[in-house]
Amino acid sequence: MKKLFNIYLLLIVLFFFTGCTGVRGFLGTIADKLSKKPSTKEPGHTKALPASYYLEKALEYEKNDELQTALFYMQIAGTLNPDSTKIPEKIASLKSTIDHKARQHFTTGVEFCKKRRFKDARKQFLTTLRYAPNHKGALDYLKNRLHPKEYLNYKVKENDTLKDISKKFYKDSSKDFLIAYFNNLKTGEEPVSGTILELPLLGSEFNRPPINIPFELIKAENLLKEKRYREVLDVSEKILEYDRLNKKASDLKNVSCYQIGMELSRQEKYPEVMEMFKKVSPEYQGVEEAIQQATNKELFKAKNLLKQKQYEQVFAVAGKILDYDKSNKAAKDLINTSFCKQGKNLIIRKNYTEALNVLSRADPQYDCVKKTISDVYKAKKKQAEVHYLNGVKHFLNEELQSAIKEWEKALALNPEHKKAKININNARSLLEKLEKVK
Amino acid sequence: MQRSANRMKTIYGLIFLLSLLLLSACATDTRSHHEISEIRINDDFIIVTTTAKDTPSSLAAEYLNDPSKEWVISEFNHIKTLTPGQKLIIPLFPFNKSGLKPGGYQTVPVLAYYSFSENKPNKVSITQGNFKAQMKYLKENNYHVITLDQLLDFLDYKEQIPEKSVVITFDDGWSSAYDFAFPILKEYGFPATFFIYTDFIGGGKAMSWKQIKELSEAGFDIQCQTKTHRNLATLKKKESFKEYFNSLEMEISYPKKLIEKKLNKECKCLAYPYGLTNNLVIAMLKKHGYRAAFTVDKKSNPFFIDKYKISEVTKVT
Repeated sequence: MKKLFNIYLLLIVLFFFTGCTGVRGFLGTIADKLSKKPSTKEPGHTKALPASYYLEKALEYEKNDELQTALFYMQIAGTLNPDSTKIPEKIASLKSTIDHKARQHFTTGVEFCKKRRFKDARKQFLTTLRYAPNHKGALDYLKNRLHPKEYLNYKVKENDTLKDISKKFYKDSSKDFLIAYFNNLKTGEEPVSGTILELPLLGSEFNRPPINIPFELIKAENLLKEKRYREVLDVSEKILEYDRLNKKASDLKNVSCYQIGMELSRQEKYPEVMEMFKKVSPEYQGVEEAIQQATNKELFKAKNLLKQKQYEQVFAVAGKILDYDKSNKAAKDLINTSFCKQGKNLIIRKNYTEALNVLSRADPQYDCVKKTISDVYKAKKKQAEVHYLNGVKHFLNEELQSAIKEWEKALALNPEHKKAKININNARSLLEKLEKVK
Repeated sequence: MQRSANRMKTIYGLIFLLSLLLLSACATDTRSHHEISEIRINDDFIIVTTTAKDTPSSLAAEYLNDPSKEWVISEFNHIKTLTPGQKLIIPLFPFNKSGLKPGGYQTVPVLAYYSFSENKPNKVSITQGNFKAQMKYLKENNYHVITLDQLLDFLDYKEQIPEKSVVITFDDGWSSAYDFAFPILKEYGFPATFFIYTDFIGGGKAMSWKQIKELSEAGFDIQCQTKTHRNLATLKKKESFKEYFNSLEMEISYPKKLIEKKLNKECKCLAYPYGLTNNLVIAMLKKHGYRAAFTVDKKSNPFFIDKYKISEVTKVT
């Protein structure tokens, strides 16, 4: 009884000193020791949270293209079911899909940027970031590179002074103080050659142009009505030289370049067409289609040249397309097909060295290029064998000099031809012996 | 002896009863029930099974050390209320910093208020009643009014914010904003930012520095709206470029230093007077260490907006 009383007393004292937590801890420790239960924080021992529930959720998110959330849920399922072999496989596969999709959208975004299609580029970078939230490249484009800059960079040339740079850039040498201010140059300090300066871009209101911009705009609009597009272009470019942000002048430039480009397209002057269309803003309605049409015409021309086996001309035409659109697959296909066909013709003519020269200019990733190169080596081996056998025939007819010549040809085509090497040596020693006998 | 033994039995019985009563108070505990069903996943998540006593706030306090982060739990699990026995995932990291979803992205509106009038609103003023109704609307419709720092962290792609986030700002420094808006903001517990142009402060209808200090000490953000509220984007009549440049330098550098000296807090943002700016102004803001600036527009702000062209939604009446 006294023992029981002592336990009660201990519990009461514990309660007064440590509160509920202490008592609970004390009792809990005793209970745990008695039952010897494993730690409840070990995931493998809980039955309350089935892995299959989280896996199902993950698959649902995956279906809805919310791949990062799907990955979160899959990782949870994997932790809850560490013995599963399927879940780690699924996680690996999902990670690979995420990487692939992020890379694909990022590349497309960069391509759109190159074409100055910034809205489309932004969409692609946002999608990249949705798949891969830590994608530094996409984030850099979204946060920095897609925003218009307040500065232009200028590399200082030898003997450049701030006044020279100011005159060149702002058409006003008195704005040299502005360059000094933004580049932390002290009064009277000149920039060092090779330094990159940041020059803030100023609107037209801060440059006093030697032309009357409103007047020039009216002039350009009147010229446009008369369809004198070359002159419209000259005037609008002159305005933009002094006021880079003038929207009306930009619009006039776009219209005139587009119209000149269409005329050049009718005259089939492809490089000039592309130069003109490149000046048009990519957002200008119809310009993308016009570029596509002009390119298609050139591709058609190149295809006909290929049929006529005029390979050098194919290279010239398709090469020009690639000058303006580096990723144009049809032009690349035409060039590589031309290389393959040239290579095959040279194989028929047994001009293997030239065939390999031609094929070395082609893209080795193309199947036809790989195959033609392999055909050249096969043909060389086959031809080496023909020369070898000819050599044997000459040898049997005791025509040692001719035999050696044939075997040498065989070796030139196939330096690994062991028999030819041995036979040449034998024939030469025979010849030497015969010389001595004579 | 028998009587003494009986008395002892009664005393032991009473002590037993008393101890049972005391210990019964320890029968439940707010933390203990989670420990038996709590699972940590790679330090990124915790899975818990909820009890009747849990709320998103109590769980946020327990696991995220901040009861106001209850939205993290609600948004990740797509829930509005809790039911006992529910399995919840508590993410321990910002799981969607940009607010991107398959169909779009999160944007944050910045509400701009100016002055207050007692009865009739005009172009730039709002009545106290209308303002209160708007705050009530935000509260009842589960909007989260976030601080300027939270907005900047979101725009810097550092921190996640609640899906329905909104920022409240007051331009100019009118004393009516102190008189009418301050009590309502305190009542609702909403943070806000006051953009002041320093030459106005202490004038007839403007707040005094004492009032501004009070706002700052109450946790409200005080930022800059230049010195004189001149249009920063264009030259004044007969103003030379050099004069304009010197004026910009003064408008941008002076109030920042003054606010920081008076309040001993960083002044890092500027609201453009009339919402107008240009490249030169932005370049100068960057040179003087401003982290962001606000224009006036009716657009809401995604994380990728130019931080020197954050849109304020104006004409809130």
